[in-house]
Amino acid sequence: MASTDPDRREDEETAAAVVEDEDTGAHVAPIIKLEEVAVTTGEEDEDAILDLKSKLYRFDKEGNQWKERGAGTVKLLKHKETGKVRLVMRQSKTLKICANHLVLSTMSVQEYAGNDKACIWHAADFSDGELKDELFCIRFGSIDNCKTFMEMFQEVAESQRKKEENKDASAAAGLLDKLSVEDEKTEVKACEEASVAAEKEPESEHGTNDADKKCEDPFSST
Amino acid sequence: ALPNQQTVDYPSFKLVIVGDGGTGKTTFVKRHLTGEFEKKYEPTIGVEVHPLDFFTNCGKLRFYCWDTAGQEKFGGLRDGYYIHGQCAIIMFDVTARLTYKNVPTWHRDLCRVCENIPIVLCGNKVDVKNRQVKAKQVTFHRKKNLQYYEISAKSNYNFEKPFLYLARKLAGDANLHFVESPALAPPEVHIDLAAQQQHEAELAAAASQPLPDDDDDTFE
Repeated sequence: MASTDPDRREDEETAAAVVEDEDTGAHVAPIIKLEEVAVTTGEEDEDAILDLKSKLYRFDKEGNQWKERGAGTVKLLKHKETGKVRLVMRQSKTLKICANHLVLSTMSVQEYAGNDKACIWHAADFSDGELKDELFCIRFGSIDNCKTFMEMFQEVAESQRKKEENKDASAAAGLLDKLSVEDEKTEVKACEEASVAAEKEPESEHGTNDADKKCEDPFSST
Repeated sequence: ALPNQQTVDYPSFKLVIVGDGGTGKTTFVKRHLTGEFEKKYEPTIGVEVHPLDFFTNCGKLRFYCWDTAGQEKFGGLRDGYYIHGQCAIIMFDVTARLTYKNVPTWHRDLCRVCENIPIVLCGNKVDVKNRQVKAKQVTFHRKKNLQYYEISAKSNYNFEKPFLYLARKLAGDANLHFVESPALAPPEVHIDLAAQQQHEAELAAAASQPLPDDDDDTFE
């Protein structure tokens, strides 16, 4: 922990010199045998598009106050295939998760009035393996880092919004195509039937006229 | 037997935490549990047991932290809490000399019940400027073969070391280390307009509340 206070730093350094790597403990027999296991971070299929040191807070609604959640590294991770982006923050040293949520189109990050190195947002957090509504505040070491984070966050939310619009638009377009194709088919079929009917019944003028009109409609509308 | 002591399918250990009242035992445990730093002092009555999980290169481990009362009048069962303890932390406050002077008593009481368990001595509050107990003055651990760490629950200085040391001793593996816990994919959620508006209102209310401890600019 880098402290800016010279006295404190000196004390911490002395402590480090005395303690670091020195095992003064008695020899005790281990009580369990553990085998090395394969480690998975859960982030294997994602690329970090942002990676910054920070301190995270959560809002305690009952106590109406901000509480520390962890200090460590916040990342924005983009999935290599789906393109979905999530925010994952881990506590330094213990590497435990203190935030884990998707960045959605409906989310927006806002400035925090009390500190220009901090910003706030709402998320459905999945840190503990169950979804919980949380208000988060994150504080950075510099105004620049906070700005970088906010811009990236907004950019991601915006891109998700566009992605959804595109998806909606293409889905709608696809649906329209399908509809008009089917319309044409039925109309053409109707025309054919009508003309067949007209041929069969040449004396019926009304039928022929109606069929002609109908045949024009689908083309004039496209 | 306790409600929060459900059994788990990975290794778990009973960790006993002792030391004078106000040295920061509960704050230290809470820091690890939720990340928060509790400034307010509320003496622990008897004992509080909290499961604390860590992810290591040898899998997930759990410490059941028996956070015992430091104040004599709230001692409760005392020695009764130490039974079947598999490891221990003795905490003192480097800004209060008496709490260090009392360490031998805590150690003696603990060792009467728990023989040959790994023990870490922790000098807490090293972030405070005017220490009463300097690092060089701490010698008890050498006489009694304990491991010593200077820690700060406030700044997180060395805050993981006691657990890492104990895990290594219990497993007899000096190379054991903490690893990233798996970050599971969060499920898709849909937020409707009404919920969005509620979140906005909550954010606006929260924005006017101050942050605790926002004077440091370097994070590790």
